[in-house]
Amino acid sequence: MSNKHSADQAPEQKKGSLLGWLDRRYPIVSTWNEHVGEYYAPKNFNFWYFFGSLALLVLVNQFITGIWLTMSYKPSAAEAFNSIEYIMRDVEWGWLIRYMHSTGASAFFIVIYLHMLRGLLYGSYKEPRELVWLLGMFLFLVLMAEAFMGYLLPWGQMSYWGAQVIISLFGAIPVVGPDLALWVRGDFVISDATLNRFFALHVIALPLVLLILVFMHIVALHKVGSNNPDGVEIKKYKNEAGLPIDGIPFHPYYSVKDSMGAVFFMVLFAFVVFYWPEGGGYFIEPPNFEPADPLKTPAHIAPVWYFTPFYAILRAVPDKFLGVVAMGGAIAVLFAMPWLDRCKVKSIRYRGTSYKVLLTIFVVSFVVLGYLGTQPATPELTKAAQIFTALYFAFFFLLPFTSVNEKTKPVPERVQ
Amino acid sequence: MKKLVWIFSLFLALPVVAHAAGGPSIELEPAENNLRDQDSLKRGAILFSNYCMACHSLKYMRYNRIARDVGWSNDEIIDKMAYNLNNVVDNVETRMLPGVAMEVLGVEPPDLSLMARLRGTDYIYTFLRGYYQDEQGKWDNHALAGTSMPNVLEGIQRHASSEDYAQAARDIANFMEYVGEPAKLQRTDLGWKVIAFLLVLLLLTYILKKEYWRDIKH
Amino acid sequence: MSTKEHKSKGVDIQRRKILTGATGVVGAAGATFLAVPFVSSWQPSEKAKAAGAPVDVDVSQLQPGQMLTVSWRGKPVWVVRRTADMLGRLPGLDAQLRDPASQESIQPTYCQNPSRAINSEYLVVVGICTHLGCAPLYRPAIGSPDVGADWQGGFFCPCHGSRFDLAGRVFQSVPAPTNLEIPPHHYLSEHLIRIGEDPQKEGVA
Repeated sequence: MSNKHSADQAPEQKKGSLLGWLDRRYPIVSTWNEHVGEYYAPKNFNFWYFFGSLALLVLVNQFITGIWLTMSYKPSAAEAFNSIEYIMRDVEWGWLIRYMHSTGASAFFIVIYLHMLRGLLYGSYKEPRELVWLLGMFLFLVLMAEAFMGYLLPWGQMSYWGAQVIISLFGAIPVVGPDLALWVRGDFVISDATLNRFFALHVIALPLVLLILVFMHIVALHKVGSNNPDGVEIKKYKNEAGLPIDGIPFHPYYSVKDSMGAVFFMVLFAFVVFYWPEGGGYFIEPPNFEPADPLKTPAHIAPVWYFTPFYAILRAVPDKFLGVVAMGGAIAVLFAMPWLDRCKVKSIRYRGTSYKVLLTIFVVSFVVLGYLGTQPATPELTKAAQIFTALYFAFFFLLPFTSVNEKTKPVPERVQ
Repeated sequence: MKKLVWIFSLFLALPVVAHAAGGPSIELEPAENNLRDQDSLKRGAILFSNYCMACHSLKYMRYNRIARDVGWSNDEIIDKMAYNLNNVVDNVETRMLPGVAMEVLGVEPPDLSLMARLRGTDYIYTFLRGYYQDEQGKWDNHALAGTSMPNVLEGIQRHASSEDYAQAARDIANFMEYVGEPAKLQRTDLGWKVIAFLLVLLLLTYILKKEYWRDIKH
Repeated sequence: MSTKEHKSKGVDIQRRKILTGATGVVGAAGATFLAVPFVSSWQPSEKAKAAGAPVDVDVSQLQPGQMLTVSWRGKPVWVVRRTADMLGRLPGLDAQLRDPASQESIQPTYCQNPSRAINSEYLVVVGICTHLGCAPLYRPAIGSPDVGADWQGGFFCPCHGSRFDLAGRVFQSVPAPTNLEIPPHHYLSEHLIRIGEDPQKEGVA
């Protein structure tokens, strides 16, 4: 007799009230019930299950601070850099809004990488949640584009040259490459035209896409119900009222728990904003304190830290076009997870040693590649990058074979 | 749980990596400046106007902002830094006319508003003290080989004590750090209050969570 | 779950209400603190304030009866050097004015006097008609042709016919509702007026 939360938990009160008036014309109460008040989630969510709601929190932060920055930022090559210093010095509290936005960008990727790792740990991409995973992967792609475009906007040396390097990768595509790069830039080199269009995409087009995809991602999740650290389907065992006995309504249990998680996150976030905004040179990169100079290349161009794993893979391959293919492939292969992994057991808690080993190698490779991506491409480090690129892909290439006959442990019927 | 420990320790390695990644090529002397030392900042501002403003601007700084942060009145700063030639709301421009530096030195002296954030305060301190004469008597600098900038503190170096010379370089570096991010002290002063507030809120949300989760049997 | 069922399982509704309330109050306070930077960032920036900084005007070359114009905060500000004659005509106009004692109009407290000035010889006034914002014309001469034979000197707005006397006070039966605005200002020296800044606490002039 764990809980007797029944459908009358939130009765349609106050029929004569404002809420009643609205609810007769708009499905407020039913939407609340379906997605919050009576959305039954597994009761055994652990630390790894905070990152979805944290991602939403960071998204809201980026929206609000971003809109406010747009009020003072000037998207032209002549004025962009100056307008950022104007925000930092002349606009009241401008420095705080700027740091919240730059910290938020890096925080977004920390949260998302951990959120994705949760998926790999507990098999959240497996049937019936393949679409949730795919929508999430599209979100990841759009987020990377959004961050890339946003990084050009300060128009510093690293903004300019980082974008120059990445867009020239498009040029490596056979036949259409150079025309494609020209089309993306709107000019023969990265220029005012590029900056202005990246501004439009970063401020309105991609955020709209992000919003729509986040909405769909949550709707898709709610349709099939959340996974959990034990990988058991809670809908299997229901009580007399038709509710999963190992489930609890999102509100008040997870609204309260996620609020706590959000505040803890805010403590860490505030620490960075107020005491470490440059993030050791990784969140705000020193070369970006110099305005973009098309005639002067910085000694050391690297993308922002959250792109470096993929950048390391790109550079590891000696051929420019094949490097692009490998980099794209490293992201594309993640889309295929639901079909590469043929193990019936969802959670790593009950999977065989082979998966644990493969996943550990994958995570370590990702982090090491990330470090290598920040370093200049010396022969020794390139060799290391090649090894770890191989290990990165090994996870995806070996998994279809090792997952078929994994020595799994018995999966419990109920959550633990 | 083991996985957690693994991943956390990898993230803890980040600051180490951060230091390794942005390493300079020469050994930098620590400036050991104190942004809260307003006397140092005042001296640095005057030194800047005497030795640096002939070529370099601080185009993102306004005189009235410097006055307010450093402890001068509006009239005082116009007198001490701007030789009564500017309005107190003006940005700090160089006295040199455009194009002259290119002719004389072969290079445009950069604006210095962000130099401390670009290269670091220690770099500025090391640079100012890094001038030496080679065998031909030509001036060069350990921190920036082949620099076109003359040894502006040569007079102080020759005639003042070595402590005073070091202090002058320190004061300028201090002032430059301030100019790089004028809101820095405001930021650090506010930060602990925000975090303290959030910790209180964290305690409350934690207790609230614990209270509601007593319902859940595991 | 009903209250009775909750109580039977040891659920203290009161405690939950208090805790939720406390957390809510602190959370709301936090949200308010968080809103401050965003709302404040709309205040005029240092750049806007710099552009709106006080303007110093040298009136040593201004002839009696002459007017000069300066720009302050994007607005035209006139300085008129009034003759004793012009000042002498002002009290006689009170009966024709809407607000002869400047009780409704905008001026600094130190200019709420018959000549609406610190030093009655110089009128410092914002040259924007208080009706719909046109720039009135300076018509100091008595009986100026486009204003009428009874005209005792002042300002005439061509847009809708509003009239103001040589202290910027508005006449009755014209569209403009109030006297012309007097900006904050003070004298740095006998002939140097700083427009846009009140006098320091030490003295009014």
